[in-house]
Amino acid sequence: MTAAGLPHESRLSDAFVSLLGRECVRDARADEIGVARVIVEPATIGEIAEVVQKCARDRLTLAPLGGGRILAQIRREPVSVGLALRRCARVVAYEPEDLTVAVEAGLTVGQLNELAGGKGQRLAVDPPLPERTTIGSLIAAARSGPLRLSEGTVRDLLIGIKYIGREGRVVNAGGRVVKNVTGYDLMKVMTGSYGTLGVIVEAAFKMRPVPANYTVALAGFARLEEAFDAAFRSSHGAPLLHCEIVSRRIGLALPGSPASANDRRFLLIAGLGGTRAEVDYQLTQIRGAVGTLIEALDGAAAEAVYHAIRDCPAAEATIGARIVVAPSALAGALEAAGAEFCAHAVSGIAQLFLDDVDEQAAHEAVARWRALAHRAGGHLTVVAARDSVRAGLSMFDEPGAGALALMRRLKAAFDPSNIFNPGCYVGGI
Amino acid sequence: MQKQIDPRVMAELREILDPAGVVSRPGELNVYECDGWTIEKSVPQLLLRPRSTAEVSALLRVLHRHNLPFVPRGAGTGLSGGCLPLAPVMICTSRMNRILAIDARNRRIEVESGVVNLNVSAAVKGAGLFYAPDPSSQAACTIGGNIAENSGGPHTLKYGVTTNHVLGVEIVLPDGEVVELGGSIEEPCGYDLVGAVVGAEGTMGIVTRATLRLLREPETHRTLLAIFDQVEAATRAVSAIVASGIIPGAIEMIDHLIIRAVVDAFHVELPLAAGAVLIIELDGLGAGIDEQAGRVTEMVRASGASEVRLARDEAERALLWKARKRAFGAVGRLAPNYATHDGVVPRTRLPEILQRITRISQSHQLSIGNVFHAGDGNIHPIVLYDERDPDQVRRAIAAGHDILKACVELGGSLSGEHGIGVEKINQMPLVFTPEDLAAMVELRHVFDPDERSNPGKVIPQPGACVEVAAPRRQAAL
Ligand SMILES: Cc1cc2nc3c(=O)[nH]c(=O)nc-3n(C[C@H](O)[C@H](O)[C@H](O)COP(=O)(O)OP(=O)(O)OC[C@H]3O[C@@H](n4cnc5c(N)ncnc54)[C@H](O)[C@@H]3O)c2cc1C
Repeated sequence: MTAAGLPHESRLSDAFVSLLGRECVRDARADEIGVARVIVEPATIGEIAEVVQKCARDRLTLAPLGGGRILAQIRREPVSVGLALRRCARVVAYEPEDLTVAVEAGLTVGQLNELAGGKGQRLAVDPPLPERTTIGSLIAAARSGPLRLSEGTVRDLLIGIKYIGREGRVVNAGGRVVKNVTGYDLMKVMTGSYGTLGVIVEAAFKMRPVPANYTVALAGFARLEEAFDAAFRSSHGAPLLHCEIVSRRIGLALPGSPASANDRRFLLIAGLGGTRAEVDYQLTQIRGAVGTLIEALDGAAAEAVYHAIRDCPAAEATIGARIVVAPSALAGALEAAGAEFCAHAVSGIAQLFLDDVDEQAAHEAVARWRALAHRAGGHLTVVAARDSVRAGLSMFDEPGAGALALMRRLKAAFDPSNIFNPGCYVGGI
Repeated sequence: MQKQIDPRVMAELREILDPAGVVSRPGELNVYECDGWTIEKSVPQLLLRPRSTAEVSALLRVLHRHNLPFVPRGAGTGLSGGCLPLAPVMICTSRMNRILAIDARNRRIEVESGVVNLNVSAAVKGAGLFYAPDPSSQAACTIGGNIAENSGGPHTLKYGVTTNHVLGVEIVLPDGEVVELGGSIEEPCGYDLVGAVVGAEGTMGIVTRATLRLLREPETHRTLLAIFDQVEAATRAVSAIVASGIIPGAIEMIDHLIIRAVVDAFHVELPLAAGAVLIIELDGLGAGIDEQAGRVTEMVRASGASEVRLARDEAERALLWKARKRAFGAVGRLAPNYATHDGVVPRTRLPEILQRITRISQSHQLSIGNVFHAGDGNIHPIVLYDERDPDQVRRAIAAGHDILKACVELGGSLSGEHGIGVEKINQMPLVFTPEDLAAMVELRHVFDPDERSNPGKVIPQPGACVEVAAPRRQAAL
């Protein structure tokens, strides 16, 4: 059955057709039915504000879709209106000499980096599948990737934001300069807010130079602890671009399947960047820190390995989660997790996943992982759960009571009518 | 007019602290009448110096019960009037200065908010680590003050400002409730409230503890001093370096007026005739650094530097940085009073903003020096005046306003690191709409619904006029 088959759906879409015109309204596709009853695709920020105003007036729930995949995971029931920002995807201002850019939220990270690559620059945040990740969802879900070790995260690079808030109000914060403490930092508040506080429509970022040379160093280990020790030692010896440890299945699936993956269970994948002299020097240092089992890849081979670890398959798994703990506690947690994983080894963050498990096994896994996270002073977010295992899973963890009370107040202040992606964030916000 | 504190409330507050924790004699309170923004002054009625989170909480509970506002204070080195007492009670963290835990493996440190910035790096130096945000006032200012202002420093060009290095805070809300936000992990669970508190200028409660990120000390440094006849050439050099993709640890600029002051004060060898000097520090791996230094030297020469010197050793490097970091103090030699401003422009607009500042200096007939974080586009024009002359004070304030307006016109903003405080509160509408400001007020109310924590700062009252020609408060006129 399609969503369009229901009479109240058609009344809903009629209302938006008269607001925006027929070309801006469509039915939910099969993969969107669980997310939103009707999809609107406004062409301008002004139109997005009108949609929010209407929703506020008529008490219709709404959620910006981004790539749609995250929402499909966390929503239990569809919102009335899904906002696709694909037509709001303009580059507002790119100033390569200032290393800043301002873009609309519907642009994808991949599109932005294609443009910036021409200038030897990039938005140095690398979530999985950047060509499917919009700037809006990058911010809203605080997504990151291997480069977080050297470049920081969205939180560190976002310098300005425009969003549509309560009653369709257009709100700006920050600016387009790289250092700015004018007014409260609403950029931080919106980062990781999962569409619950408003619709992000524009963002400004610091850009970074792409290093002149990039080399990937690989080393295999039989024991996880050894791998982590080597990662800490390596990152202490050299300013690595990234430092990942992956479990065997991921290691074997890497393009060109490096020799060291075959007989070793855990693979350390370190990224080195800089001048040729710097890269060579770091390689020597890493060899010292890691031992001899090391292979170095350059050029296309390095890029291919990097893409494979960046696009960690956890999001496609039967059950997948992101664990965040103290860096020194990650090895222990992974040891006990009994899962495949891709780990940002020295940041204390990993994606864990299992395939082909039934509902009970999936739920047990999440409970086990969560307990491990808590014991290590951290938390766990479920990032993937197939329909067959999803029922009854809580996707987010619970913050401390004091913090959660403030979060509820924040939600009530920014979204008093509770229409922005309600009911699926931490504490049921 | 400030509310007078009822003697019974005074007694309740005294009971919570040891005698040394309470300052109430007018003579002693005068010290607290302002911070580094000395144009406006107001003496608090009572200064409280708690030693623990529990004491802060107990004090705030009493104030909450009696609906009294308060001003948090660290070391009072702020430059925008952030701890100007616009409330009767001031709460100072100076006795909450313990380092609580160092975790070298995870590169974290947990400190009380009254710990002095420099002491953080000093505590972890042995482990080869450092705390990156290094305001020039770092020998005095506190981590709590840094968090409130989201402070930066010379090396934040490469390493980021305070907000990039704070993972967790303990905050006492204005009603006395103690809340933990974030922690020692890389990503919080739920909304990033730590990110909201950093830079809130004390308007959301009193931060009592913080968990900070530490960085590994770079393997080596190269510190270059580039000397220019003309300021414009120096700013061109900054743009060229930034655009080249090399990210130095710091690029700082000092213009001719300030060169004179620091040569006098610190006996550094700088040519008095120079229009400007740049201090450019590269840091990183020994392997690549000389190549980088060579490239930077070429770019700087191509932009018109008349001379480029390399600091020969650690002692020379230390002297250069001493001159830079104490430059503000040296300015005291040039005039009885000075106001340090803080604006920010896109880096490519530095030449224009400096030209505008020269014109503003001429039109207000006041000397203006510049010593600033050039690599970030973060300017610090220093307006010299004499507070005994009311007309000079008025012109100094007007010149400050003109500079900020110029920053905004060039695509910049009102403050790069010193905060809004009272100094720039009336200029907020130059960058933000009433809707933007309303959203900010809503955020503040999440933490402080009665606006009792540091009232009268950051966000102007709706309808306030954009330009104020003279200070409204008891000013140093
Ligand atoms: C010579 C000189 C050089 C400077 N150089 C720089 C520089 O390079 N970069 C830079 O960014 N700044 C610089 N500053 C400005 C100033 O030092 C910083 O803003 C500093 O962070 C203030 O710290 P403080 O402890 O003195 O805070 P204070 O001045 O005491 O307070 C500043 C603000 O923080 C609030 N506050 C203080 N402690 C707390 C707390 N625990 N909880 C909540 N709120 C609190 C106060 O209410 C006030 O609003 C400089 C100042 C001077 C005098």
